[in-house]
Order: sequence, then C-alpha cells, then structure tokens
Amino acid sequence: MSTSSPRRANAEPRWLRLTLTAVALGFLGLFLALPLVAVFTEALRSGWDNYLTALADREALAAIRLTVFIAVFVLPFNIAVGVAAAWAIAKFDFRGKSLLITLIDLPFAVSPVVVGLVFLMIFGAQGLLGPWLSAHEIKVVFALPGMILVTLFITFPFVARELIPLMQAQGKDEEEAAISLGATGWQMFFRVTLPNIKWGLLYGVILANARAMGEFGAVSVVSGHIRGETNTLPLHVEILYNEYNAVGSFAAASVLALLALVTLVAKTLVEWRMRRETEMLAATLAPEATGTSTGNRS
Amino acid sequence: MSIEISGVTKRFGSFTALDNIHLDIPTGELVALLGPSGCGKTTLLRIIAGMESADAGHVKFAGEEATHLHARERKVGFVFQHYALFRHMTVFENVAFGLRVKPRAERPSETEIRRRVSELLKLVQLDWLAERYPSQLSGGQRQRIALARALAVEPKVLLLDEPFGALDTKVRKELRRWLRRLHDEMHISSVFVTHDQEEALEVADRVVVMNHGKIEQIGSPDEVYSNPASPFVYQFLGNVNVFHSRVHGDWAEIGREEAQTRDAGNVVAFVRPHDIEIENAPVAGGLESLVQEVHTIGPLVRVELAHGPELVEVELTRERAATLTLGKGQRVWLRPRQVKVFEASAWDLEDGGSGI
Repeated sequence: MSTSSPRRANAEPRWLRLTLTAVALGFLGLFLALPLVAVFTEALRSGWDNYLTALADREALAAIRLTVFIAVFVLPFNIAVGVAAAWAIAKFDFRGKSLLITLIDLPFAVSPVVVGLVFLMIFGAQGLLGPWLSAHEIKVVFALPGMILVTLFITFPFVARELIPLMQAQGKDEEEAAISLGATGWQMFFRVTLPNIKWGLLYGVILANARAMGEFGAVSVVSGHIRGETNTLPLHVEILYNEYNAVGSFAAASVLALLALVTLVAKTLVEWRMRRETEMLAATLAPEATGTSTGNRS
Repeated sequence: MSIEISGVTKRFGSFTALDNIHLDIPTGELVALLGPSGCGKTTLLRIIAGMESADAGHVKFAGEEATHLHARERKVGFVFQHYALFRHMTVFENVAFGLRVKPRAERPSETEIRRRVSELLKLVQLDWLAERYPSQLSGGQRQRIALARALAVEPKVLLLDEPFGALDTKVRKELRRWLRRLHDEMHISSVFVTHDQEEALEVADRVVVMNHGKIEQIGSPDEVYSNPASPFVYQFLGNVNVFHSRVHGDWAEIGREEAQTRDAGNVVAFVRPHDIEIENAPVAGGLESLVQEVHTIGPLVRVELAHGPELVEVELTRERAATLTLGKGQRVWLRPRQVKVFEASAWDLEDGGSGI
C-alpha cells in the first residue's frame, strides 16, 4: 500500500471495509430479499386476476380462517402464562428457578416435528390418553384441539422470554411501593406492572403470533391434512405446491410473506417505542436546580 | 404511632441478617438506623413495613400486634432509595395513587383528590411539576415526590430506606434538613436507614447503631458520638486513631484512670483525630512523632504523623496549624485531649469490620 493519506489508527483499510460490506449486503440480498421478491413474482406471474381467484378459493379461505383462529385462540393463553412465568422468575426467588427457565426454552430447542410426534403419542388413538379420549368422544389429534395444543407449545417461550429480562431490570420497587400505598394485587398489576411491560409484552406477542401463523412441522404432524378443515396456511401452501399448482401455492405463500412484512413493521415500531422509553429513563438528568427555597422555611 | 420490635430474627439461608432485635420507637420520634452495608438495617426496615417477614419475633404498632399484617394494611409510608416512582404516571398521578386505589367506600371524590394532591405538592414545594413525568425530574425532586406520595395516604409511620443515598452532597444536606422539618410538622413516627453517620447525627432524635444483625447502641446523637458503647460504634462514627496499649505503653498511661481497672496489656485506646493536640516542644506524657504529610482540606488541616511504626492522624484548625508551621519530617509532641479505652478483646471481635 502506497497511500500517503493519513488514516485513523483504528480503521480497517478501505478495500477490506468495502469487501466486508459487499459480502454482507450480497448475503442479505440473496437470502432475504430475493426469496421475498420471488414469492410475489411467482404469485403474480399469471396476473392479478388469477392471483385473486387463487386466494378466493374456498379451501384457501378456509386455511386462512383456520390459521387466524388458531393464532387468536393461542395468544391469550400465551400472554397469561407468559406474564405469569416471567413474573415468578423476575420477582421471586425460589427453588428450581433455573430449571423453570430452562423448561421455558425447551420449545426453542426441540424440533417441531418431534413436538408433533410427542403430542401424537400422548393424545393419539394409540397414545397414553387415547383410550380415555375416544371413550369420551373427544377428538384431539387430527383435529383443531391438537393443532391448538402444539401451537401453544411451540409459541410458549416468546412472551416469557421477552418479559423476563425486562421485568428483572425493572426490579420490584414500584410494585412494593404500590402495595405499601394500599393497592391490592390486581390494582398493582394493572396500574403499575402492566403499563411498565406493555411494549415488551406487545413485542413478544408479535413474535409469538408470527410463529403461530407460520408454524409448519408440529402442526403438520397432528393436523391430518383434511382439506378445508384442518389445513392451515403453511400446510395449504405445501399441498398446492405438491400438486404443481404454482400460482395457488405462491398466492397463499404471499399472504404469509405479507404477514411477515407486517410483523417486521410492527416489530420495528414497538422496538422504537421501547428504545425511546428506555432512553427517556436513562436520560442524564439536569443538575438539581430546584430552589434553595427548601432551606429558608422554618 | 409507636413501634415495638421484640425478638425479631431473620435469616437468608445461612446468613443471619437480624439476630434477636429489640427496639422501641415512641410516637413522634425520628429514628435513624445506622450501620455499614449488610448490617441488617434495611431488612429491619422492610420487616417493619411488612415487605419482609421475620423468622421469629414480633412487631407491634401502637401496642397492637402487627407481625402478620399485610404490607397493604399497615398504613406505613415507605420511601425507597431509588425513589420507585411509577415511571409511566405523571407526578400528580404518582401522588394520587394511594388515594385512587382505596376501596370505593373510602375513596375520596375526584375534587378532593385534586385538592389533597396539590396540597401535598405544595408541601414538598414542587406543585409546578405536577404534569411532568418522573424521568424529567432531578434526583432530589424525585425523592421529594416519593415523599409526597407516601404522605398522601396519611401514614402513622414513615419509613425511609437510604432516602438520600443516591443524591449528591449538596442536595442531600438540603433534603435532610427539610425532612427534619417535615417530620416535626406532620407529627408522625419516622424511621430512616442510612450508612452516613453525619446524616444520622444531624437529623435523628435517636440513633440506632447496628452491626452484623445486632444493635450495638441506642442513644441520642450526642450520646452515641461522645459516649460510644463499643469499639465498633466509636470507629463507625467518625475517624479514629487506634492504639494498642501493649505497643504504646505511654498511651495507656494517658488514659490511666480508665485503664487502671483493667490489665494494662489488654486494652486499646481510641482517640479521634480532632482530639489530639500537637505541640512543638516536649510536653509531659506527650508522644514524640514525626510529621509525614500535611493536607489542607477546606477549613481543616489533616496531619499524618509517624509514632514509631504507627501512623497517627490529627485534625487541626487552619489557625492552629498556622501557629505550628508544620513541615515534613518535623519532630513534634502529641497530647490527646480525650481518650476512650476498651478492652482489647472487644476490639478484636470487631477488627476487620468495616469502619474508617
């Protein structure tokens, strides 16, 4: 290198910076942007009319409805249990706390297909609870309840994972203050705790929702693939694709891709709000300027 | 409302935070719990507040059993070291919180709440901040709002956990005088926790000095300072020079009256740096020493001297230092004005404990 221009001691050479940036951007384009573009190009290949017809298909609509229904059903449970678990972990000390934290992470660690198989083994006809369930004519596997159960399992960690560090960082001073001021447990929760964690909670819910709607493996095992009945959107995409119905499958996939984009936007907004609130809290305070007035009264 | 604490013990695992504490706090008194970190003072305060439960012992409010009363029902005002203001509420809503969460039958009307809150904000002289959020306030302002919030429910007891610990010196001084005045105006019992001896001595009616989960001494600020019950209290309340009489036979001489009753080899003598006089000429019983360092700290001059292998710290007024014209390596004679002698065994027990 014969450059004579001075360069900062801590900066990498220009060519290295450019190469690294190019590699990173190329990777992003190839693996993230290109597939997204491909989904929409394939879906719209034979025009808007065909695209809309494919989406208006009775089975496609049923798949969308089922997907939304499962998500709507699963999320309240996730919120309730996630908040409860995060609360217990962040605000109390008890035996087995680290075990609980590990258990919460379990759904992240296990392959979704295995999850589906496990639920089959428990609730299936040959499973542990199978005889009892069939005796009472309760259908879990290859039906809606099974799909809801596995989705619950898969999406369980998101809310709790998001809230635990947040609640730990906030400590329990404010809750204790609320109690000492005479608040009941519920008043404390709704007036103090919930407003403090709302953005973190929303963030967790957005992630859980994306996962609930996009889940394939576990749901696939317990759904039974009954068209128009137990097909969620991801399963519907696969079926159509296997039938060489490119427009149909990509149209359905584009709905999922749109959902992903909406999730990203929502996630960014929430992250921005969260960061702003943290910054507000951490903002360096102006030096005490309140009066010496406190000193003169007697 | 008076507070009686009897036989309170608290353990965290194998660590004994409080060991059989007995303490009576009469109505209207401002009491400081003073001690190094980890001495159990905050735990005691939290047990009084009901935020922690004692393993053994009783807490009584105005003679009535309160040991198992829920924190919500104790009617105590609690002020946290880090303010614990509700961050998503305005200052006004923070102060109003205690009134808004009252059961419907007891809850004051909206206009009454407005009146009470603005009254309290005037009391802490921050009524102009009502619509701000806690994050927009300075530390001193936050703590005053926290106080107003605690007072909103008209507690009979006010508990403060290192209330000024996170503030800078100037604000801290201002606030503690203000707290003293507020306490006198409100006619309540207050207990505050601090590790700052100056704060305790200046503000409190009574000081409770704690160490290792035990109470070392209870007394007026003057009592604990000038008549410490134990070596720990002595060295915790201000700087101190410690002389082991075995090494310093002549120092035991000086404290003769007190030392006589004990075996001369087994005592330690405590002398405060400002209780030592420096003389340029030899005096009877004076300790010959060499000046090591001279620092001027504001109105005081701190002199470090070597007496044999021991380092002695002396504090003089500027005027006195000027007449002595002390220089490095100068030979001088030390004369203590006031010595406190303890048995060496009592000191050894505390040795290594935090202090100077």
